[in-house]
Formats: sequence, C-alpha cells, structure tokens
Amino acid sequence: MALKGLDIFKLTPKTNCKDCGNPTCMAFAMKVASGALSIDKCPHMSPEALATLSEATAPPMKSYKVGELSLGGETVLSRHEKTLVSKTLYAVQVCDCMDEAKQDAVLAAIPNVDYERISERMYVEMIYVRHSADKTPADYAALVAKAKALGRPLVLSCTDLEAAKAGVEAASGVPFILNGATADNYADMSALAKGAKALLGVRAESLEALHQVVEKLEAAGNKDLILDVGEASIKDAYANAVQIRRAALKDGDRTFGYPSIVNVAGLAGGDAHLEAALLSLFTCKYGSIVVCSEMTYAKALPLYGLRQNIFTDPQKPMKVAPGIYPINGADENSPCCLTVDFALTYFLVSGELERSKMPVNLLITDASGMSVLTAWAAGKFSSSSIKKFFDEFDINNKIKSRALIIPGKVAVMKGEIQEKLPEWSVIVGTTEAVQLVKYLRDEEWKKSYVDKSAAAAAPAEGQAAAEAAPAPKAVMPAPPIVVTGPYKLEDKEVTYKGHDPASKTFVTIGERIHCISPAIRKAMDSYDEGPILKRAAEQIAAGATYLDVNIGPAESNGPELMKWAVQLLQQNFNNVPLALDTANQKAIEAGISVYNRTNGKPIVNSADAGSRISNIDLAAANDAIVIALCSADGIAKDNEERMMHCHNMLERGLSHGMESDDLWFDPLFLVVKGMQDKQMDVLNAIRLFSDEGLKSTGGLSNNSNGMPKHIRPIMDSAMVAMAMMQGLTSAIVNPCDLRLMETIKSCDIIKNHNLYADSYLEI
Amino acid sequence: MPFVKKPQVFSAKINELTLGTGDQAVTLGGQNVYNLYAFDGEIANRPKIGIDVSDDPEQPSEGLKAFYAGCDTLAQRAAKAAELEDVDFVCIRFDMADPNGANKSIEDCVADAKAVAEAVSKPIVVAGCKNAEKDADLFSKVSEALQGKNILVLSAKEENYKGIAAGAGLAYGQKVGAESAVDINLAKQLNVLITQMGVDGHNVAMNIGSAAAGYGFEYVVSTLERVKAAALSQNDTTLQMPIITPVGVETWGVKESTAPESENPGWGDAEERGVDMEVETAAACLAYGSDAVILKHPESIKTIARLVAALM
Repeated sequence: MALKGLDIFKLTPKTNCKDCGNPTCMAFAMKVASGALSIDKCPHMSPEALATLSEATAPPMKSYKVGELSLGGETVLSRHEKTLVSKTLYAVQVCDCMDEAKQDAVLAAIPNVDYERISERMYVEMIYVRHSADKTPADYAALVAKAKALGRPLVLSCTDLEAAKAGVEAASGVPFILNGATADNYADMSALAKGAKALLGVRAESLEALHQVVEKLEAAGNKDLILDVGEASIKDAYANAVQIRRAALKDGDRTFGYPSIVNVAGLAGGDAHLEAALLSLFTCKYGSIVVCSEMTYAKALPLYGLRQNIFTDPQKPMKVAPGIYPINGADENSPCCLTVDFALTYFLVSGELERSKMPVNLLITDASGMSVLTAWAAGKFSSSSIKKFFDEFDINNKIKSRALIIPGKVAVMKGEIQEKLPEWSVIVGTTEAVQLVKYLRDEEWKKSYVDKSAAAAAPAEGQAAAEAAPAPKAVMPAPPIVVTGPYKLEDKEVTYKGHDPASKTFVTIGERIHCISPAIRKAMDSYDEGPILKRAAEQIAAGATYLDVNIGPAESNGPELMKWAVQLLQQNFNNVPLALDTANQKAIEAGISVYNRTNGKPIVNSADAGSRISNIDLAAANDAIVIALCSADGIAKDNEERMMHCHNMLERGLSHGMESDDLWFDPLFLVVKGMQDKQMDVLNAIRLFSDEGLKSTGGLSNNSNGMPKHIRPIMDSAMVAMAMMQGLTSAIVNPCDLRLMETIKSCDIIKNHNLYADSYLEI
Repeated sequence: MPFVKKPQVFSAKINELTLGTGDQAVTLGGQNVYNLYAFDGEIANRPKIGIDVSDDPEQPSEGLKAFYAGCDTLAQRAAKAAELEDVDFVCIRFDMADPNGANKSIEDCVADAKAVAEAVSKPIVVAGCKNAEKDADLFSKVSEALQGKNILVLSAKEENYKGIAAGAGLAYGQKVGAESAVDINLAKQLNVLITQMGVDGHNVAMNIGSAAAGYGFEYVVSTLERVKAAALSQNDTTLQMPIITPVGVETWGVKESTAPESENPGWGDAEERGVDMEVETAAACLAYGSDAVILKHPESIKTIARLVAALM
C-alpha cells in the first residue's frame, strides 16, 4: 500500500536540518511519497522508521518462481482493476496411500493433456505428491522419486518430519514446494524447507490459527511461504481462499500476503464433474495452485480457456499466432480468407467460417492484435505486411488455390495487395463476419474470382508475350495545385488567421481530415480536392490551430499524396500548420520537404515507445514537433509505466538534439464506456507531464466514443476543462464541436493565457 | 496481530425477484454480500438453476437425446425437464420462431407455451428466437396467454424494449428480462429505459451477456463483477436487478462440447466434455455474480446444485 506524504512525515526526525537538500522535512516527505526521492536520502531516519517504511512500501503479496512457474505478486482482487499477474497453476495429486498400479496409472496419465491454445502451452504444471500417515518415509521417497521422473515441479504434501526429509532428499534435482508446516512442526519444517531453498506450505485448523503460524514463521525469519486453504469442506476452503486474498490485498494484512494452494481432489469426493466445477471456482477465486485427482481433456478444455481469459491483461489485446488455419477440412485447393490476429476477430471469423461448413483456409497475419480497421489505419495490416506474411509462411507453395478473400472493410487495399501478389485473385469479402456464412455457402466470392494462372504463364511462352504483358501499375501522379482565390464556404471566405508558436494558448489539432472517413478515403484515392478543402475550411472557420492530415498507410503513393495534401492545404489556407499523420515515414518526410513553417513547425503524428519510436528520430532530423504516445505494446497499465515511456522518449528526443518543447506527450485518452475507472489515471498523467514542464496532447474525444451524439460535446467539454486544469497544452479534437471550442476558449481565459473581453468567444 | 475477519456486508442489496406462483415459486437475488460469500453474511436466496428447453427437438448430445427420448412436444420435454429435482425453473426457448429459420407462427408458439404451463408447475421463463421484432410480438402474446403465471420473458434488448416493457411488463404484469451484451453501460441504460416506461425495477432481471469459457469470457467476468460492485458498494439502484445468465445455449455451441471423439481421439467422450464445459462456465458465472444460471444437461444441473449447496 502506498504511503501518503503525511504518513512519511510522521516518521521523519522533523528537525528541518536540510541535510537531504530539501528546505523542510515536510517537503522531503512529499517528494518521497511521489517517488521523486528515496527515503535513504535522509541520513537521520531511525532504523525503526526505515523498517516501518519498507514494510509499508513492500508489495501486498509476495511473488515467487518455482522453476519457470510464477506464483503470487497480485495487487488487485478483480481483473478489471489492473492485470492479474500469476495465472492459476494446476497440479495432479498422487498419494503413497494408493497401490503401486494406481500410482503408476495416475502419473502416466499426467502428460496426456498437453496442447497449445492462443500461443500458450496448456498442461499440468505440477505434481502434488501426498504422504499418508500410515506409510513409511521410504514409501514416500519412492513415490517422490517416481513423480520426479516426469520432470515437472513437485509439491510435497507431508506433515511428518521424517517422511518430509526423505521426500525432500528424493525430490532433489527438480524445483519443489514443501507443503507441510503446521502449528506443531513449523520450526523443523521451516528449517527443512530453508535448507532445500523451497517454498514452505502452511496449514492450520482455522484462519486465525493459520495467521498465528505464519506470524511465528515470519518472526523466525521465513517469508517464503504458501498458504494451504485446507480440505475440511468446500465451504471452508472457499471462505479461506477468498478471505486470505482479501485480507492481503484489500485490508493490507501482509501476514496473509502469500499465494494459496487448494486441493479440490479431496473436496470433490470422487465426483469428476464436481471436481471440474471446483477447478473453475478456485481459478476464479483465488487459488494460486489448484490440485485435482486427474486432468482430462473434458476438464482441461474449458478450464485452460477460462484461465487464459481471466489472466489476460485487460489493457492488451489477446493475439492468435499468425499462420494457416484450415477450417472444415480445407486443403491446399480451398480458397483463403485473410484477417488479423486479434483473438476476438479470429474467434468471430473462424466461428462463422465453421458454420458455413465450406472448406476454407483462414490466413491470420500479424497485426499486433488490433482489429481490422484499427490495424489498417495504424499501418499494421497493409499490403507489405501481408506480402511479408505470404513470404514468411511460404503460402504460395503451401496452398494451390489462388483465391484470396480480404475483409470488406479494407476494400481500399485490394489494388495494393493485388500488385504485391500478382498470381492471386484478390477478392473483396464481406464487411461483417456474420455475412460470411451466406457468402461462402452461395459461393458469392466466385463471381469476383479472376483466374490469374493464364496471365502468369503467358510470359513463359515468348518474348512477345512478355512485352505485351501490362507494365506494373504506375503511381498516379498528383495533379498540380491551382489556387484561384480565397476558399469560400457557403459564400463566406475562409482564411487562416495565423498562429504564434510561442503563444501559451491551447493548441487544437483538427481531426476531420482522416482516411478512416470514407469520403476522405475516396478523395485521397483520386486526388479530389473538393472534400478535403471543404473539411479543412470548416475546421479553420471553427478555430482550429493545426489541421491533422491522415492519409492512412498509403503504401504505394505515400510521399506523392502527402506532398500534394500539404501543398493543397497550405496554399489554400495561408500556410495553416499541419500534423502529418501516417505510418509511412517516407510520406512524412516528403510532406515536410514542401512544408511552410510560417505558422509553426510541422507535427509528426505519431511516435510511441514501442515499434514507432523511430518517428522521434524522424522529427528530430526534420526539426519537427512529434506527438509521443506514452505506450508501447497496448495501453500502459498505470502511470508508472506511462512515465517510463515518457522518459524513454524524452531521452531519445533530447539525445537527437530536440527541444523538450517539441515532444508533445500523449497519455492516450481512454473510452469512458469501457474504461471509466481509468479516466483519473489519464488526467493524473497529464499533471505529471506538466509538473515536469512537458507539453501534452492527445485524442481527447476518444473519451466519449460510443456515446450518443448529443452527449459527446458535453463529455468532451468536461474532459478538456479537467485536462486543462491538469496542464494539458493541446488536443486532437473535432473543432466543429462548438461547445468544446467555447470551453477551451473559456479555460484559456481562466488560465490567464488570453486577456478577457466580452467578445472573447468570437475572437 | 491476530487475524480478525472483516466481513464485507453492504447496506445496499440486490432486488428480490419472485418467479412463478404458489409453493413452486422461486426468488432470485436479495443478498447484501457478494455472490457465494456466505462467510460474509447470510445469503438471502441461494443462486437458482433453470433448465433450457428448446422447441427445436434437435439435441446437441447423445445424453440429451436419451434424456428426452419419447418426448415429442415442447410441453412433454418441459415436463420431463421440470421433474429434475434440482431444477428451480424451466426456460422454454422458441428457436423455431426465427423468421430466418423455421419461422414458426406466434399462434403456434402461444399454443406451445400454454401446453407447457399446463404440464409444468415450476416457474416458467420464456426465451425468444433472437429476432428483435418477432420476439417483441412473441413475448407480448405469450405474456397475455400466461397471465397470472408470473413468468419472466428473456429478454428485452435495446432494439425492442419498448414493446416488451409495455406488453409483457405493463399490460400483463409479467417479469421483464433486460439483455445487453457484456456492456455495463448499456446494461444500466436499458434498466433506466425500461423503468422509465413505467415498469417497476423490482420486476426486472438482467441478462448481461454470456459466453463459453475460453471464448471472450473475460468480458463476462468483468461485466458481472462491475455490475455487482456498482449495485452493492455504490448502491446503484439501476443495477440492483438480479442477474440471470443463459449458460447452456453458449456452451453447447462450441466445438469443445460437440466435436465427435473421432475428430480428436485424445479428447475423449463428447458428453463428458459438454458437461464439463457447461459446469465450469456456470461455476465461473456464479463466482462472479450470476444470481441464476440456465443449463441444458441434467448432469450439469445436478453438479451445479451440489456446488451451490456446498457453498451455502
């Protein structure tokens, strides 16, 4: 649990000696609380105070490794609060009370369940070796030795010291846990576990008694523990599992801050289905290791899927491995459907394909786990990425069919893909997965299929044929830009009023020229000035400072298109400053080469701390501003991570000679519908940027995504006011939202960035 | 420091919703502690188990075929299902009414529902065919025919809540289910809209969405947890409706449950897989917040009943 500044202040000497470099102990305590200083900067803290502090700042639950397996380390009770970090591990129980044939059968069955699901190996991670009081240490050692032969980590369940010693000796060589400490034997068991460097499992009659034994073990210096919830009854085991975890994470009781072990084999009393239910229950709440009598596919298939769902990082998309997924008995002659690796997309599409009962090869490409349109807009699902996928997976040789059905939503990519995969017939499929059943059953795709084999074979027939073959499609040249006079919007002249880069007023970046809009996409495809100029004029008339120009990945003609767009907008609108928004770096550079800086530097939109970090270098080399997204692979899980990304990118920019003012940090605004509990995190991140004197921006209206039209301006206005209070200096917004723009102007007045006049809204 | 239990008892509670009439009536909800947390305080009403009976005679498994052998009509199947001791209510599902499928007429559905009501004394829940327009009409007519039986219609969605709230809820005094697909904001909005129509919030149950374990179930988990947290810890009266989760219709549609053993010899008997998929999904729903689950297989029902009894 994080300590507040005042709690730390109480532990300081309160002498204001300034030896730590701070004017007062209070100031020092506040900096320690914020993480800016470490407590040992004060040379006068008493050892007791230091111990209290280290206890208070220690994680609420210990984390361990047993071999390669992780245990514990949780900080939250629910997955939506933050990620759950250590998935439940499963063990199968074998006991020396079983006759030898039974023991062998149990052990032999353990490797049966072993498969992969969404890039994760699903198998029985551990073996639970139980000692029965009426058996000898030698019996137990023999069983441990047999179990060890499977090469998996063991849990030795044994409260008899002599048998435990024999077991520990026999287990040497594989990682193991010694689950055997009780109120009576804890001192000896602890010594045994410590000697073997093993985690010690603790059990007791009740939670109160368990707490006492753990306190005694901790006092004796053993803090490498795991807590057994007991086998008295299902009700007690569940009560214990929940209350132990809740005491540790919610009530800050560190004595219970250890992983748990639940043995459902005994609780189920031989009822396999009840055992399945209990495996599920204790995976939900809160078994770190759950032990069962047998793992069958019937139990495992739902269980491992459930575990995978629960323990996914809610901030990071689930991905499936790229590759060929034959469906309904598809072979090399079956047509191919192409989509992205976002797990939900995969399940949706593969489910519909299965329902169609038609054999199809589902091709999954690496798109960083994004959905189709998002991946396309981010340049992660492009003709190049698809070509790369075809090469890497040797699709042309593995599959003979040449029918490639692409998602209808990215119909615009058809030409580019066709160019890169000339031997394939690229077919635009349905826009929604649900339409696939009919599409495939009625073989609608065949209507668009073009047999390319004849064309491909033609050049081999002779020189003449080769010459006759069409030359690769040339990039359509951009038409010249002719400005005939001031642009008029409904007969009113629209002129850009100019922008002083040194001004402190809030910078709005108009987001309306974006290729995700079908009208803009079409206009950019054909160099049609009209729709682009109209949207630019609307935004400028509404008071936008910058205009964002998103041309999509534009793989074939990026530089040409960006140059055209930059010149078109700047020549028509008094050199309006622009944010150049594309995954295509060459296009950004080309845009900057023709960019006029009268009203401010160009903005590179955007870099992140992951695969797009080189956009910082690009901005530095071109003396541009860069929007720096504080994320790497998915949304940052907390502000610690956001600031880590922020500092990484800041360092990189500075090392390339950038001014810190030219890095505009984007905390990544999150959707209220879905991530309501993370909104204050985002706002606090802006405060952290601003406290360090950094500029910030971001796609602010994302917060109201999915809300009714009449609500969005209200929500966005509230958000911008709160964010400006925190120090936000810019935002990517829809400037045609009057309420939002008026709120921004009002906030600029209150922040004293602009002198008030009754007509301030109209200026 | 000795361990002191800190029971998490809330001043808010989940609404009680009674289905059916007479001594067979069952009550959902009512608790002021998190689901299954009997160690925190008394659970007012244990979670309930419904059985899902479709008007489509096709069954997803051999075991279910055997169970319903000899039953030719929906009413016969419903009666057979209601005989199971652990079944609290019977959910009849009009799959055949789908206009894109068999397009069974509303009149035939009403006749079926009447026959079921005569054959079954346990409470009745009526599920539709998922076509918003047809369901609105269907629920209204069935509600009229079964007036006084205190049934629940499952369910009203964003597209058709008006007709269902007005018909089933207001005109015929039945209970109304509000269905959203793992979207907590929509779940709340739908409850607000239905109560704004004049339906008492205490006559509403929620289906906040469902999935088979492994199939995006994390969204179900988070929605259940967040709805219960808002209802109890924030006393959000618009989310205090009990949650009823159809599990069987989801789990018996995935390949883990239905693929014949011949396709994946290592997987073993399909019946066992189907039951475990249903049981494990249902156990997880109950752990995270469902006040009732609707299952298909008698073996699953027996197992979940055992689990619930053991936890009370």
